[in-house]
Amino acid sequence: MSPLAETILRELHAEPRQFAELVDAHRDAKWRDFLRAWGEVRAADVLGRDEDGRYLIKSA
Amino acid sequence: MKKSFRDFLDDLEKAGELRRVKKPVDLRDVSALVAQSREAALFETLAEYPGWRLAGGLVSTRKRLALAMGSSENEVAMRFEASLDRPIEPILVGNAPCQEVVLEGEDADLTSIPYPLMHARDGGPYISATCVVSKDPEYGRNVGSYRLMYRTPKETGIDLVSPSDMRFYYQRQLDRGKPLEIAVAIGVHPFEMLAASYKAPIDMDEYWIAGGLHGAPLALVKCRSVDLEVPADAELVLEGELLPIGWSADEGPFGEFSHITGDVKWNPIFRVKCITHRYQPIFYFLQMPWENDWLSAPVTEAAGLRALRNASIKPVAIKAPVGSCGYWTLIASIRKRPGEGKNALLALLSVAEVKLAIVTDDDINIHDPDDLDWALTFRVQANRDVIIVEGARGKHVDPSVRAWELGKGGLPTTAKLGIDATIPEGIPKKFYRRLEYYGRDRVKLEDYL
Repeated sequence: MSPLAETILRELHAEPRQFAELVDAHRDAKWRDFLRAWGEVRAADVLGRDEDGRYLIKSA
Repeated sequence: MKKSFRDFLDDLEKAGELRRVKKPVDLRDVSALVAQSREAALFETLAEYPGWRLAGGLVSTRKRLALAMGSSENEVAMRFEASLDRPIEPILVGNAPCQEVVLEGEDADLTSIPYPLMHARDGGPYISATCVVSKDPEYGRNVGSYRLMYRTPKETGIDLVSPSDMRFYYQRQLDRGKPLEIAVAIGVHPFEMLAASYKAPIDMDEYWIAGGLHGAPLALVKCRSVDLEVPADAELVLEGELLPIGWSADEGPFGEFSHITGDVKWNPIFRVKCITHRYQPIFYFLQMPWENDWLSAPVTEAAGLRALRNASIKPVAIKAPVGSCGYWTLIASIRKRPGEGKNALLALLSVAEVKLAIVTDDDINIHDPDDLDWALTFRVQANRDVIIVEGARGKHVDPSVRAWELGKGGLPTTAKLGIDATIPEGIPKKFYRRLEYYGRDRVKLEDYL
């Protein structure tokens, strides 16, 4: 997993986030790199959603 | 002659309705920038995506829709409806601009296309301006428009919650445990978008309707990896399949055409196999909600005209107001015979998910809100001229149908309201005689100035 994907995972472990909040937190990353990292997070199959559409890490 | 997406951009520019942006832009900012532009926008330099351009907000006004239609603003519905009566069979070509570049295998990477982030609460970047084609062995080809949310370089979510022919095709494949092949064309002329939005009978091919709108056959090309055909002059094509997983993957929220941030929905996943595009491609994104609303209006209006004519009623004018997103309300004036105010309501309320229908006589200008209010005030008795139909088909994006209470893949219902604002039977027309100023045709104010 790329360092950016690992960072996103850590942020989601800390608290649920809107997708745009994750984007805001990584505006310095290239958009394409961010999308690739997001794809890695998605592929890890650990994401859930709360009632406001925030992404969160599913409890095991 | 059949016009392309690029021809439409040229038409917009000639009419002073296109703004070119030359400075490099970030795909995270384009939607907010288009929202600030009075004209349609063409971004000529995209940061990180050399060779690509991006267009948005092309039909954000009825004026620009009329420009695409080649008609006046009040005639777009009639123009659309007339084309339904003369569908034109598409032709198949061997070589196509949309396949000038072919990306397969690992190269078919969704991050290689300029996937924009549109709204503050979207569940991810979205592709919004799509013509999605699918096939069923029994019912044939279908073309519709469905949004795609980025998930991974190979997968997107797709909003398939509402009733549609493609949803039906997908369900049939799902019952067999098989995927449904689809192809997604992006960057096509508004006629293809309008045809895709029209709820045609299941055995009618929307490509034929697009041909009728153009007055010339659509040129199609065979896809590279799936047994489907796409418009040859599309800017970009995604080929792949909907996985047979049912309505099980999170998708959304998305800034809906109802002007509301939607909810998380449960939907299938689209897996891409092949990406093809033109040289120097132009990515088109539909700026929500206005572009979607203005594209919906003529489709809803034409369906209303058809429903009225099928009910042997003579429509004079029809309007799907943009306040109802060009979708949920239909207002029509008719040349009425006794009883036809109610018949017209029943016909209009049968259109898709229209939930409010108003019918007036032909002396009312339905495009003038004051004239419409006047008819509603003086020609309506609520106990006789209002009908309510319960339990009709609804749409998820309308919060009042409480779609969140449904299970995954559930379909909502809605109540429908009809208001007959025609002169009631039994009331002599003399009671509605409009006041006239004495001497109106004899004197002129300028003679006194």
